Amino acid sequence: MRNILDRNQNRANEVRRLLAEEKVLMVNIISSPGAGKTTLLERTLGELNTKFRIGIIEGDITTDRDARRLQKFNIPITLINTEGGCHLDSHSISKVLDTFSLKDLDVIFVENVGNLVCPSQFDLGENFKLAVVSTAEGDDKPAKYPMLFREARAVLLNKVDLIPYTNFRMLNFRKDMEKINRNIPVFELSCTRGDGLGAWFEWISSRITENCNRE
Amino acid sequence: MHELSIAEDLSAIVLETALRETLAKVTRVNVSIGQLVQIVPGLFESAFIECVRDTVAGQAELCIEIVPVRMKCRKCGADIGIEDNNFSCSACGSDDLEMINGRELYIKSIEGE
Repeated sequence: MRNILDRNQNRANEVRRLLAEEKVLMVNIISSPGAGKTTLLERTLGELNTKFRIGIIEGDITTDRDARRLQKFNIPITLINTEGGCHLDSHSISKVLDTFSLKDLDVIFVENVGNLVCPSQFDLGENFKLAVVSTAEGDDKPAKYPMLFREARAVLLNKVDLIPYTNFRMLNFRKDMEKINRNIPVFELSCTRGDGLGAWFEWISSRITENCNRE
Repeated sequence: MHELSIAEDLSAIVLETALRETLAKVTRVNVSIGQLVQIVPGLFESAFIECVRDTVAGQAELCIEIVPVRMKCRKCGADIGIEDNNFSCSACGSDDLEMINGRELYIKSIEGE
């Protein structure tokens, strides 16, 4: 029995080993298009940019719009244009890693291509995946895409300020999360209005610090 | 459309194997794919056909077995099937589970002559 994706897996393992040597945490951010990954990164950089040394890998199907939105933070950003491809893989990550000076970084946030199915299948060599989902997409996303919610280390539920204008039911969402994965934190956020960001900043800061202090 | 990327990697392994085993023709490729991989078999098959067009595997039949999710409970040891996304042990209720099946992407065998 041979793993069909063993080329991707082997490269992901190399990336993981390299990042571990340099004590750089890599976070693979996965969501649907428009859930708010870039806004989340803008907010997160605004808060953490002075505390940690951060790099960004932007996966984008064709444009550089997301990368441009983050340029104001004056941090290393590398864009991977997948030219129509619906996910990043470990080869594309491995190719761009040498654009960063890893010894000068604490964390790399990878903004994957907006898609809930395909990116979940491809290990990039990350320390963990983050699932970002927004209330405007409906409360059924964990039930429809269980693999991502099983494998993510945390779930960020964005746009809670829009709940009154949608048919999103928090109870349904929470019930499905409870069934699929009750061991991970779910942060209820509004990245535009600012709700819940404090708890998220605290959690991600702990993960970065933990990784820096590893023996 | 992760079907296309997976089909590309699959066809590369099939062609590499055919070359190594000096097969003139690949007749059948048997794969096991876990339910959680959420593959669409028809799309995967079309993508595979495109990838192996005009090669020794051009006429190969792709047989896809979709494997249901099974977990082993780390607390009571039960071997359980997962239905309706209910990722907790049906025997003892624990959520400390180890995945046995459901996430695989395996080539079981490559047949040829």
